[in-house]
Amino acid sequence: MLIVAPDLAFDALADPVRREILAALAECEECSAGELSARIHRVGRTAVSTHLSVLRTAGLIAERRSGRFRYYSVNPTGPAQEVIRLLQDLFQGSLDEVKAAAESAREPGAGTGTKRDS
Amino acid sequence: MTSGLFLFAEQQVDAPPEQIFALFGAGSGAGWLFDAHCDRVAAGSVVTLSAPIGGSGVPPVDILGRISRVMPPLRIEIVHELPWRGRLRVLFDPADGGGCRLRLFAELDEVGLAWLMRRRGSPLAESVRPGEHLVGLLTSKSGPGGVFAAATENLAAMAVAEVNADGGIRGRPVHLVVGDDATDPGTGVREAQRLVRAGCRTIIATTTSATFARVSAALPAAGVLLVHSLMNEGGLAAPLRVQFGERPYRQLLAAVGSMMRLAGKRWFLAGNDYCWPRVVHAAARHVLNEKAGAVVGESFAPLGSRDFGPLIDAVLEARPDVVLSSFVGADLVAFERQCHARGVRDQARSLALALDEPTRERIGDRACIGMWGVSGYFEQLDVEENRDLLRRYRRAYGPFATPVSSISESAYEAVHLYASAARRVGTDDSAQVARELRRGSFAFPRGTVSMTAGGGMGQQLYLAEAVAGGFSVLPATEHVSRR
Repeated sequence: MLIVAPDLAFDALADPVRREILAALAECEECSAGELSARIHRVGRTAVSTHLSVLRTAGLIAERRSGRFRYYSVNPTGPAQEVIRLLQDLFQGSLDEVKAAAESAREPGAGTGTKRDS
Repeated sequence: MTSGLFLFAEQQVDAPPEQIFALFGAGSGAGWLFDAHCDRVAAGSVVTLSAPIGGSGVPPVDILGRISRVMPPLRIEIVHELPWRGRLRVLFDPADGGGCRLRLFAELDEVGLAWLMRRRGSPLAESVRPGEHLVGLLTSKSGPGGVFAAATENLAAMAVAEVNADGGIRGRPVHLVVGDDATDPGTGVREAQRLVRAGCRTIIATTTSATFARVSAALPAAGVLLVHSLMNEGGLAAPLRVQFGERPYRQLLAAVGSMMRLAGKRWFLAGNDYCWPRVVHAAARHVLNEKAGAVVGESFAPLGSRDFGPLIDAVLEARPDVVLSSFVGADLVAFERQCHARGVRDQARSLALALDEPTRERIGDRACIGMWGVSGYFEQLDVEENRDLLRRYRRAYGPFATPVSSISESAYEAVHLYASAARRVGTDDSAQVARELRRGSFAFPRGTVSMTAGGGMGQQLYLAEAVAGGFSVLPATEHVSRR
């Protein structure tokens, strides 16, 4: 397991492209460098590689080699990742609850006992 | 927002967009986001989102924001400043078969990410450039104090930008290091210690007196200059402890006579249970006694209370003419909204010393009617320095930023007063800067302020009636001449 230096992690996160890369990785679980480059439009492939290396040194992402390809994923132990995952769960959870509330209201006989005290 | 982290969530819902849209703000058990607390689903309306960030068993974190755009039933956008700066966009797209594709886009900046990481226990260090002059700002980005402190960071940052545009402090740019006390004295001490470790030799605090007193005791008496900029009860006299801000006794002298003429002599004192409200009530008993008024009841509730039912029962039973409300922040909001709902306003006016612009708008345009505030600054003050401040504030932070108040404007002043004193003495020596902070008169958006040898500040106070959209400020001469 990687030991993460929080200062290093924060410096790594100070760059908007690196935050974008992290957000992309948070969605796709594991991506190759090429797949990531295709999703990050504001810089070229070489720059993405450089950013990936900074993120890896900071312990925020993990690298897996398979043949001549390298795959990247968010390091689940990284402190920024914990926060990103927390937010992702928080926002997805909010929509899940809206879905439950909207669909239960459509079921016949619904609409009783759901009103919360405020 | 310039750059930030983007997050995305999506859900297919088997209900039409109109029906899902109607759940927003309805309090019908639709989760933390759609159960947003707001009086109106309209652009400009304030909104509170109680986000369960710590998971179950941990109190939710209140995200304080404002609806910035509404297109029923297709889109709602919210911008928020606390605890982190961000934007939420909810899109409702009609889908085949009468359903809806629901999408949520969330943005936050690196400051917000750092706040969340610290809240989760990561000991992040502040990134500071060599040669910077560090000044700490200890404020409340979370907890009940977030309501009154929401604009303090904006205004402190504005003052820092102005100081830096004017050459910084002897050529060195000022860098503001911000700490969040979470409206909790213990957290305040830990955050103040973090600011000191980062290199701050001066900390400006816009927190409750409870936090300020604890931080003052915890930090060494020598070495760190502590400035309490907002309204406070004073009493911490020490060479490196400076307390600007309105004092309760002077606020009450400026308000009680008018409130007695307006409403009556029977007063109920109700407030949060910590040092400032207790001093407010002691001062109120003194002033009321002098003016032949009567205290018909007194009650306290811990900071962070949300159910004021029993307390309001006691108020209704005592039948006062005036409720002196010394609650603060989100507690003041909850107490006054419940007073309004219970009909307290039908029989009594409310005077709240900590009633300011951001608190008033969260109490709401309906529930704030019958309330009065008294302080040295209101946005409506017709002074050139104030008009200019508000123009620059809106240019920098946009139409949806938290309104300016006496509390947040005090942070703006404190940065300028500190920079001015540090420039005048020509050294960073805290003791010399602190001595210099006790001298001089300055023209600020609130008018002329005069520093006193005791480390306080003389200023004109105004009595103001809460009205829909803001305050109606009484001319300063009115209560002075009628005293």
